[in-house]
Amino acid sequence: MTRKILNIIVNGESHQVPIELHWTLLQVLRNEIGMMGTKENCLEAECGVCTVLLDGRAVNSCILLAGQVEGRSITTIEGIGNPEHLHPLQETFIECGAVQCGYCIPGMILTAKSFLDENPGCRPTRDEIREALAGTLCRCTGYRKIVDAVAAAVERMSISGQHQ
Amino acid sequence: MSVPNYRVAGRRLARIDGVGKVTGKHVYAADFKLPGMLYGKVLRSSRAHALIKKVDTSRAASIPGVRGIITSADIPAVRYGQAVRDTTVFALDRVLFTGHAIAAVAATSLEAAERALAAIEVEYEDLPGLFDPEAALDSNVRIHPDWESYKALPIIARHGNISGRSRIRVGDVEATFAEAYRIYEHRFTTALVHPGYTEPRVATADWDASGNVTVWCNTQLPFDTQNTLAEILDLPAARVRVSVPGIGGGFGGKLRIGVEHFAALLARKTARPVKVMSTSEEELTSALPRQASVVLLKTAVDKDGHLLARSGKIIVDCGACAGSGPGTAAISLQVMAGPYRTGALELEGIAVYTNKVPSGSFRAPAGPMANFAMECQMDMIAKDLGLDPLEIRLRNIVRDGDAGPSGEIHKSVSIEECLRKAADAIGWHDRNPEPGRGKGIACSWWMTTGGSSGVYVKINPDGTATLVSGAVEIGTGAITGAAQILAEELSLDLTDINVTGVDTQVAPFDYGAQGSRTTFSVGNACLAAAADLRRQMFELAAKQLDAPVDGMVLRDKHVVAGSKSISIAELARISRLAGGGLIAHGTAISPAPPYDPTRTENHPLPAWNSPSYHAHAVDLSVDQATGKVTINRYVVAQDVGFAINPTYIEGQIEGGVAQGIGQALSEEIAYQDGRVMNANLTDYKMPTAMDVPDIESIIVECRSAAGPYGAKGVGEPPCIQPPAAIGNAIAAATGCWPRSLPMTAEKISAALRAERT
Repeated sequence: MTRKILNIIVNGESHQVPIELHWTLLQVLRNEIGMMGTKENCLEAECGVCTVLLDGRAVNSCILLAGQVEGRSITTIEGIGNPEHLHPLQETFIECGAVQCGYCIPGMILTAKSFLDENPGCRPTRDEIREALAGTLCRCTGYRKIVDAVAAAVERMSISGQHQ
Repeated sequence: MSVPNYRVAGRRLARIDGVGKVTGKHVYAADFKLPGMLYGKVLRSSRAHALIKKVDTSRAASIPGVRGIITSADIPAVRYGQAVRDTTVFALDRVLFTGHAIAAVAATSLEAAERALAAIEVEYEDLPGLFDPEAALDSNVRIHPDWESYKALPIIARHGNISGRSRIRVGDVEATFAEAYRIYEHRFTTALVHPGYTEPRVATADWDASGNVTVWCNTQLPFDTQNTLAEILDLPAARVRVSVPGIGGGFGGKLRIGVEHFAALLARKTARPVKVMSTSEEELTSALPRQASVVLLKTAVDKDGHLLARSGKIIVDCGACAGSGPGTAAISLQVMAGPYRTGALELEGIAVYTNKVPSGSFRAPAGPMANFAMECQMDMIAKDLGLDPLEIRLRNIVRDGDAGPSGEIHKSVSIEECLRKAADAIGWHDRNPEPGRGKGIACSWWMTTGGSSGVYVKINPDGTATLVSGAVEIGTGAITGAAQILAEELSLDLTDINVTGVDTQVAPFDYGAQGSRTTFSVGNACLAAAADLRRQMFELAAKQLDAPVDGMVLRDKHVVAGSKSISIAELARISRLAGGGLIAHGTAISPAPPYDPTRTENHPLPAWNSPSYHAHAVDLSVDQATGKVTINRYVVAQDVGFAINPTYIEGQIEGGVAQGIGQALSEEIAYQDGRVMNANLTDYKMPTAMDVPDIESIIVECRSAAGPYGAKGVGEPPCIQPPAAIGNAIAAATGCWPRSLPMTAEKISAALRAERT
């Protein structure tokens, strides 16, 4: 099988990965780089669990060919915080009870982060938050506490002046 | 009842697995991999009902990367199944539904495995298909021609295509009908729906040098999976180890074996680890969805709306294998009776085979199906008699000490409180605030499933405790709840409790994460383990402190005897040197309540343990042109006995209602001529964040005698009433009663057009 070298930056670290041309970004992240926080389900961009940030914007990594992201910067859930230093969204998702099985949560948090980063300084309404998150399915929570968590993170980030 | 002053139980504490889940560190079964692992794929039937004339794998075997192929010819023809042993790993001489497994391939990459599947040649000879459950009841076509030779639980009554039939009979229904003021007769249908967990069913299997197999998978029932695998692999169960690292949702869809057997058989064949993961298409064509059903209800009332008699029949389309169909048909009977006093009952539940996907036990099996019919009919009766729907319910609900349908006695009944609180919260006094807007109400009762639980609890030398349970944390927070109980009893903080994944090799038995039982039953086992640990610690402290055991208490992580005290950590360290450590095995079993066996016939679940009561109320608007439903508000009042952690109880309510809204309005695995027409997540429509309002939860606490601190089961009930409550609200808004789930905009607009003409 022909392989080419893919140069990408994942969570600030550069990687040179030999890839097959048909591999998706999801496959590269999970199988080659070991970023298992990026989840796998429908593989047709319907459920959103595979969402990562591509140069800061949310994308479904399951339908993006790895070759399309040559030279670009990817942020996965592992890249926005860790158990010692959680991102405000990670904190509020726990505090608001927005996490159940948790399988959709990395995608949900990154989708929310992309939305908030695209609208700096805004205080979105609950309906606006719902619209922003509608591409990621959660079957556990009924979404209420997820919306609570995003709204709480907006408050927290505006108080601390943090926008990461 | 006085409110006890708990430190940990009853508090809104953060779940113990939360940090791992928000940082991507939590390992799910789908994340599991081993060096040298192969990828397995399953070839599935393209025909709904056909004889298999030939399966030729020779071309597939020569594809580069393919390491092994198995078909029914390679494995013993073991039949397995919960109620009826009618299921095989692969189709034998015939395929029974589109999606039936025929062969499995292991290869070095998924792509090679997929190429191999495409190269397997299968020759079919089509047989007439049976797709309509009512037609299947007395068809000459037999889906299982040799069903008489299959073993089944003795309680299961079978006949022809009927895989199970149960009855409950009380009083003389016919005589009561003859004298009734009015009789109402209606027919309802419900749809086949998928649990919709976001992590597909997945398993990785590996055999060791001694011929033992380990399967890492996302089952809700590790011990059931262990037993089923042992039967399929023809091994003693002790040589099969099932380990569940983490699980991305279950909702009853991961109770029974899914892909674990394919992984184990392929790993044995290839002598390599093999991972098998379902695709979305496989999930929607060959997983274990909730059965579609037909419900026929005939109810007699007096002029004041009191229920006098009801005959009811549910036909549960169990698909090509019985699965949970016979149990679901049976449980339907209690749901059809409802939390109501009814003089006479004649209820029948039938599970029938069709050439469709075998079905399973999606959250509250039977609940939304039978409740939709029963509670919509209550509103139809109320309307005809000119009664308020709330009022007709209040006139008929059961009270403490009343006999349930099987003669069991209702205790700690809270249905009036639930109904009144839900009605008040939704603003029931004004049911039609504007044209095209209406409010609906529905109520139900549900069991807390029994079965036994065992836990090991170990006190660590730093004074923390490790809880080893055979119950999987499927996301509900149940294990956090059990850990809160344990922390409460040991005077520890929740953060002092360490919890492990489930491994059948080390964990004590648990009946499993099913049936709203996990916190209840594992919590009771934790109470028992904590009592034993207190005894051990007090005896050890008595020696250390030279104080009597009598009067000792645990306080702030210390054993306290009068003015003397010693820390739990110190006792754990002393015990390590002197007595092998502090460890306890706590067990719990919920015995089934007494009932009247003369009322039931072939009923595998005749009486419900510690039932809960609940009411839902909804305020919605219907677009008069398109039939589109917009839910404005949704309120749930649910009796949970005692709220171990209100945050995650709300989470259960909010999530359960969201699933119920999907079943009410949009979800259906749609078949045409034996083929699923929407086997993808674009066309199988689960609610998104824009389809679900902020669900409002009212937690009612009417303590049970058997649950930890009085708790009752919580997880399943929230998805029972949404179809009925929404159906009744649609009727209030439009005057049209949808009697078929899902109540799509298409169906509602057609009904509105019919009404106008």
